[in-house]
Amino acid sequence: MTVVKTEAAPYLEAFRQRPAADEPKWLAETRRAALDRFAELGFPTRRDELWRFTNLGPLTKAVFLPAASAATADQSALAPYLLDGARHRIVLVNGRFAPALSAIGDLPKGAWLGSTAEAMKTHPDWVRAAFEESDTLGAQPLASLNGAFFADGFVLALEKGVVLQGPVEIIHLGGAAAPQAFHLRNVVLAGAGSGAAIVETYAGGGASWTNAVARVTAGEGARIAHMKIQAEGGEAIHTALTRGSLAAEARYESFTLTTGARLSRNDSLIALRGDNAYLNLSGAYLLRGEQEATTATFVEHGALGGETREVFKGVMDERSHGVFLGKIAVRPGADKTNAHQLNRNLLLSRRASVDTKPELEILADDVKCSHGATVGDLDETALFYLRSRGIPEPAARRMLIESFAADAIESAVAEPGLRAHLRRHLDTWLEKRGS
Amino acid sequence: MLEIRNLHARVADGKEILKGVDLTVQAGEVHAIMGPNGSGKSTLAGVLAGKPGYEVTAGEVLYEGRNLLELAADERAREGIFLAFQYPVEIPGVNNMYFLRAALNAVRRQRGESELDAGQFLKAVRTKLKLLDIGEDLLQRAVNVGFSGGEKKRNEIFQMAMLEPKLAILDETDSGLDIDALRVVSAGVNKLRDPKRAIVLITHYQRLLDYVVPDRVHVLGEGRILASGDKSLAAELEKRGYAHLGSAA
Repeated sequence: MTVVKTEAAPYLEAFRQRPAADEPKWLAETRRAALDRFAELGFPTRRDELWRFTNLGPLTKAVFLPAASAATADQSALAPYLLDGARHRIVLVNGRFAPALSAIGDLPKGAWLGSTAEAMKTHPDWVRAAFEESDTLGAQPLASLNGAFFADGFVLALEKGVVLQGPVEIIHLGGAAAPQAFHLRNVVLAGAGSGAAIVETYAGGGASWTNAVARVTAGEGARIAHMKIQAEGGEAIHTALTRGSLAAEARYESFTLTTGARLSRNDSLIALRGDNAYLNLSGAYLLRGEQEATTATFVEHGALGGETREVFKGVMDERSHGVFLGKIAVRPGADKTNAHQLNRNLLLSRRASVDTKPELEILADDVKCSHGATVGDLDETALFYLRSRGIPEPAARRMLIESFAADAIESAVAEPGLRAHLRRHLDTWLEKRGS
Repeated sequence: MLEIRNLHARVADGKEILKGVDLTVQAGEVHAIMGPNGSGKSTLAGVLAGKPGYEVTAGEVLYEGRNLLELAADERAREGIFLAFQYPVEIPGVNNMYFLRAALNAVRRQRGESELDAGQFLKAVRTKLKLLDIGEDLLQRAVNVGFSGGEKKRNEIFQMAMLEPKLAILDETDSGLDIDALRVVSAGVNKLRDPKRAIVLITHYQRLLDYVVPDRVHVLGEGRILASGDKSLAAELEKRGYAHLGSAA
């Protein structure tokens, strides 16, 4: 009998009480094992090195039970987030697929896009592949809780050589008056030589907790661009864990723009398993008020000639708190690895703060690796230069903040439409900025 | 247009640099302020433009009859004051055209003129570019980033041509320019001479004044104007140096 953490009790109870689901035996067993793992671990605490800087108080002080049923939203609620030119759209409301708001569109032969709930019925192996031993054995309690409770999410599966024209858009709208949790389980399975661009947006309001776990598998030579915009309401909590695996010559480009939620955390664990894989893992976090956002990345180079470009930029205003924990590990034998990591932060207020911890571990030969972090405030000389030409101070400040954050987008995202979409969200944040 | 009376100013750490500057500049005039290093030339330019880090301890500055010192830096610029920087600032990520259009429209709003849309702005830009022999590609880059020394200085005068100030202060615009660049910049400044515009040239050397001939020349030393005269004063300084003007050198 293992010890059960007290804070896990309401979750164990909710698990017992949940309505009987028509699920395969493996899934029921896996859920049970994941729940047990969560019960054993409890929520992470500041004693855990990887959670040292993150204040999970808002999450642990209340009980966030899983949303019990499907919900709907008005089409107009989507309007601010819609991506121009999206060919395929999946909308989830409160953690569940909303068919009326979705438009999956025409897919080429060998491509499958749909909800996780549906995939569990039609392609259970895909969903099964999204589980890992770490859900039941590892040290990711939030992912374990997700494993126990998730109801839905999205699945994109591409057979060998299938390339989607136009991006796939995934929008998750959350909303709850009382604490409630939306556990999403997302899967991207890209066969050899396949390709797609995915844009995920998380939005909504209320005191809800969105807890997303994703598995991205890129086969040989696959090319996946994966944008994520987290623009949840000011009372929301958002946690996400993405596990990625890249085969030889695969390219995975990930960009995360965080502007929402009072408390958020993005964990990315990406392994370059095949030779000459390429990873761009970048993002920006823009925070104000009492927001706290953590970006935690772990990149593992396990094969020859891999390349990683990682640039995260943070802008912290008012009393917000940013955290960056980045680790790149180059395993023995992963020779000729080329890995560069940079975290730059801009503090706009004396009460804003940031903790940053870039880390490299190199156990291979002939590698080119670098890492660095900076924390600073707005460049006063540049500010004076702009003002000396007549630009009012608030506009001059905005110009400098925008250029700082936009640089992260421009250097990581090549496709003009996706760039413009991210810039639009950046503008929205800047517009709201008090001067 | 500009009247400086008994101006005393110090830097933030407390060292007094200007110790009673008196200077009057009328519209249509070009004044040169010369002086050795450390005489307070750049401090004077900074105080007039509203650069942070200086504190005025005594005296006053009137611009078109108004107290200039109570205006913020950007207000001064919108009221028609322009400072060409000795060291133009590089601003990564801010596009030159975007920046200049924002500046021009801020100035135009203040003058009660309509804002220029992208097309009108581009037209205005092209006319002024010819004046300074600047390629359009330079404007597509970030502000001053990757510009050569000469390109930065030309960009300053180009901005001045776009913003059409009433009072332009050129802080060591000639420094770091080779003779060809100096000719281009000087020609640009000369084209901007106007009966309604005053220009103050701050320079260490007489060289610039061979191309932009001033109406008045002043020598700044020990934080004060030590001597004033017509353009022959500059030639005399070139011959005899600053040393004969008291202990200024």
